[in-house]
Amino acid sequence: MTGTASARYSFGGDDHVFVELDGEMSLTANFKAMAITQALEERRLDGVIDICPANASYQIRFDPLVLPPTDLVELLKQIESDVGDATDIQLDTSIVEVPVLYNDPWTHETLMRFRTHHQTPDSTDLEYAAEINGYTSVDSFVEAHSGSPWFTSMVGFVAGLPFLFQMVPRERQLQVPKYPRPRTDTPKQAIGYGGCFTAIYSVRGAGGYQLFGITPAPIYDPTQQHPDFEDFMVFFKPGTIAKLEPIDRAAYDRIVEQVEARAFRFKQRPVRFSLGEFLNDPDAYNAGLLEVLRGS
Amino acid sequence: MSHEIRSPIPGVFYRRPAPDQDPYVVIGSRIEEDTQVALVEVMKNFHPVVAGVVGVIASIEVEDGGMVGPGDVLMTVDEAPGEGAVP
Amino acid sequence: MGVRVLKPGMSTTIQDRGRYGYYSVGIPPSGSLDQFSSFAANLLVGNPDEAAVLECTYLGPQLLFEAPCVVAVTGADLPPLVNRVPRPLWESFEVSEGDVLSFDYLTAGARAYIAFSGGIDVPEVLGSRSTYTLGSMGGINGRVLAEGDWIALGPVDGSRVGRAVPEALRPTHPYQREIRVMMGLFDHRLTATGRETFLGTDWRLTPVADRTGFRYQGAELEFKDRTPPFGAGSDPSNIVDAPYPIGSIQVPSGIEPIVLHRDAVSGGGYCMVATVIGADMDDVGQSPPNITTRFVEVDLETALQARRDREARFARLREELA
Repeated sequence: MTGTASARYSFGGDDHVFVELDGEMSLTANFKAMAITQALEERRLDGVIDICPANASYQIRFDPLVLPPTDLVELLKQIESDVGDATDIQLDTSIVEVPVLYNDPWTHETLMRFRTHHQTPDSTDLEYAAEINGYTSVDSFVEAHSGSPWFTSMVGFVAGLPFLFQMVPRERQLQVPKYPRPRTDTPKQAIGYGGCFTAIYSVRGAGGYQLFGITPAPIYDPTQQHPDFEDFMVFFKPGTIAKLEPIDRAAYDRIVEQVEARAFRFKQRPVRFSLGEFLNDPDAYNAGLLEVLRGS
Repeated sequence: MSHEIRSPIPGVFYRRPAPDQDPYVVIGSRIEEDTQVALVEVMKNFHPVVAGVVGVIASIEVEDGGMVGPGDVLMTVDEAPGEGAVP
Repeated sequence: MGVRVLKPGMSTTIQDRGRYGYYSVGIPPSGSLDQFSSFAANLLVGNPDEAAVLECTYLGPQLLFEAPCVVAVTGADLPPLVNRVPRPLWESFEVSEGDVLSFDYLTAGARAYIAFSGGIDVPEVLGSRSTYTLGSMGGINGRVLAEGDWIALGPVDGSRVGRAVPEALRPTHPYQREIRVMMGLFDHRLTATGRETFLGTDWRLTPVADRTGFRYQGAELEFKDRTPPFGAGSDPSNIVDAPYPIGSIQVPSGIEPIVLHRDAVSGGGYCMVATVIGADMDDVGQSPPNITTRFVEVDLETALQARRDREARFARLREELA
């Protein structure tokens, strides 16, 4: 979990500033992106259109005739230096339990249909991921994938799709390459894995991440009919902490019934995240987070 | 009477539903108004081209897999004077 | 008051100026790809700037009017017909109850805009009526028009017939385009040769181009060798998934550059090497398949001047049609 690289500023045309905080992924870089974009948000500057924190970078879309580009970059550099390494900054967020049916029939059907796009035509995505990460069985791989919580390091690609980065030291990070040739189809709410990120596909569509399972819980609801979506159609926000909870088929079916009755709600609790405290002792900190989720 | 079948849209012209299948029509094929004669692929979708006329395919003006523009002639048709009039 | 869709055209959607402030959760701006033309269409029929119009791609729809209306068609050269009689482009005209608006073959450009006096009355979603099909949002149930759809129109407030956009203010649709870009983002990953190839190739637009992205073919770009940073992925064109600017040009595996447009995917793991300047995004939107395009490098000052010139064109048109 290093994060000492200096930021790189670049214009994306005349109306975007793109800032790469680190070429590598780390929770430190991500938290810095979150802290800087939040500080910018609070200034409510005229001319700022979109503020997008991302994994190890962030991007601002702005009107350069209202806010001169060089002024904006100067301000961002000022904020970057104020934020520093971000370890003393607290983030008010929530921890949420996401039920996951690993090795489910629907993503299985999809991944078998696109076997010729995959690295290993003769095994499943989970078997491949387990093997290249040195796990002796799919079960022990799933245990690692679902054991420690995940930090939402970016929301995007398509509406409401969270990129999740696991809250474990670098040497315990799971890494799996994407499909060499992307699929043209992925079921909605599939749990995918690419590079060092878990993604939950918010809508059905193309995708290149390895398919591990599926969640019965909607995470994007443009018509806002489900209880968790009364305020906004997107569930995950940058900074949301997720615990992936393995469930069996019976539990999956029960939740589907609740979803269909518009009665399903995620189990979630508010939590204040501190990067500094987490970095001190990740496992103890995570145990505390899970305590919050389970408790009271 | 000769009639021209034109592509309504730009895209890639295909004469067959799939590479390993027979073409929709060949020169000499008898067609009805609603006969599908080709596909044009654009924006990741395949759009059927229908004859719009009764007759016999007289020529095919574009190579299979070639690019076409809106209004380009794809095929010409010798129009039949009417149902049953052609032996 | 409204319009019945007899034939939907190929990919006709309801669009307006776009939806802003939600890119951080993956919801792109959407809106008319050629903003100048849709602005002109609204002005011609006397609509406010924020009114929603139809964007027709390559093939026009067939529409039945169930009440009198003032209509204008702008953008691509997609000649309008009322009851099969030609009507002018870039000029407002009246249609009566029972009239059918249809279109001849597209002759240049890619997207035509149809404005109706009163504007299209669909609910706003997050501040816009624009259709974003990937997210099933806006327009009519978040999708392209379908046969039988009913397009409700808003109340008319001072519509006008016979107004025309002066020739000098109409965009042209050349078959060879120069699109101005600012290099940057991850262009340092290209070798000097790769950079020269990018700026020196006559790129050809592929038929897969749509509102999300315009994919071109023509050459392969050379990337520098590197040890992949943690989380980036092994291909030389991979990066740790990052936000994608609207207009940014990514080059997956070094082949087929993709210009993201207003229905952009908001982020991902492919390295971007340049971004189309704001003033030239309308021209990208008016590019049909097979068109050749050169990406021409400009600096920030030039891009800003182009933006000011473009704003001046909007202002001039507003004065002309006042």
